[in-house]
Amino acid sequence: MVWGMSDAVDTHLQELRRGTVVLACLQLLREPGYGYALLERLDSHGLPTDANTLYPLLRRLEKQGFLTSEWNTEESRPRKFYSTSADGIRLAETLQQEWRALTESLSSLTEPDPAHEES
Amino acid sequence: MSATLTERYISATIRSLPAESQEDVRAELAASIADAVEARTEQGEDPEAAEREVLTGLGDPAVLAAGYADRPLHLLGPRHYLTWRRLLILLLWIVPACAFVGVGLSQALIGADGGTIIGQAISTALTAAVHVAFWTTLVFVILERTGADTAETWSVEDLPEPKESGTGRADLIASLVFLGLVLAALGWDRLIGLVRVEGDWLPVLHPGLWPLWTLLLVAIVLAEMVHAIVLHARGRWNTGLAVANTVLALLFAGWALALFANDLLLSPELLELARTVGDIDAQSMHTLGVILVVSILAVAAWDVVDGWLKTLRDRRR
Repeated sequence: MVWGMSDAVDTHLQELRRGTVVLACLQLLREPGYGYALLERLDSHGLPTDANTLYPLLRRLEKQGFLTSEWNTEESRPRKFYSTSADGIRLAETLQQEWRALTESLSSLTEPDPAHEES
Repeated sequence: MSATLTERYISATIRSLPAESQEDVRAELAASIADAVEARTEQGEDPEAAEREVLTGLGDPAVLAAGYADRPLHLLGPRHYLTWRRLLILLLWIVPACAFVGVGLSQALIGADGGTIIGQAISTALTAAVHVAFWTTLVFVILERTGADTAETWSVEDLPEPKESGTGRADLIASLVFLGLVLAALGWDRLIGLVRVEGDWLPVLHPGLWPLWTLLLVAIVLAEMVHAIVLHARGRWNTGLAVANTVLALLFAGWALALFANDLLLSPELLELARTVGDIDAQSMHTLGVILVVSILAVAAWDVVDGWLKTLRDRRR
């Protein structure tokens, strides 16, 4: 039975979700945000992410120039705020476009193919 | 007061990071952990339990540090693994075998006894294998860590050719001609002598070999001929042929070594001439003897291994 092999199913789900965290971060950080708050927001949008995945990822994206960061010391505890850079916004748009194209392509697989019917 | 769990966790994480990023990661991680703990205590959780839960959720600090530093969590990745494996297998075929023969030969030349020769040769070969494996792997681990490229790209030209296993007509003819020459040489040596010294023909083999030992050798050679013909007829190696090949190779090596060890292989006249006319001293004679014994062993070993390799190859066809 297929759903009994939950390990294999979990692996496939993880692989499908892997790249989406980057896109989600870039979109959410169009408004500046800090690590823990971003984690909560991802969770509330139905994209639960592990803290030990997200924190290194933010630094990596910053190093690649897709995020900028700034220390905010005005509140009770100093926090590092990230926000999506101009490059980051361009990357987000490219990724979003690709995601839409993939969704369309995948949907078309199970829909009747009009070109095929005509021929 | 001893350090809190959070402090210990953060220290363990940033310890292996580059110095310039350590303080930044420390401050950010401290704030993130404090935020997460606070969120839990606001739900009425015990602060100590909340801290434990948060740190447990973050997982092994070494994994987190690898994430921050963008370090691989494996010794060798897929980019280098196959190159490493090919090179290591090649070196493990060559280096220990060379060490074995080299050390065995030098021990034999300085007159060590059989046990010492084999013991030294085996231990050196094992040491060589361990060194080859260690240093090769170390080089590849460094390549992996420095992001270097071995520039090995695959193309269709790299596809292996189907290997011949020597069962064709040409192989049969070559075998039979060679074995026939051996028989002719035996007869010629017995009747006339193979070496001409100062106008006289001298036999190479000991005259005492006739008739029993010579006939035994003839029987081995004839059996080799039968083996070659059967191999050609079957068209492929199999276990039976490989066993027969092994037995024949061992019989020949045993025949030659047993006679040589008892000074019955080579004609005493020839050896005497070599000593007097050729001016070869005892030390050199010993060296030549060692080389002869090693050659006999090497040829036999090669023959046996070759037969089994071809059997394995034909089984996969």
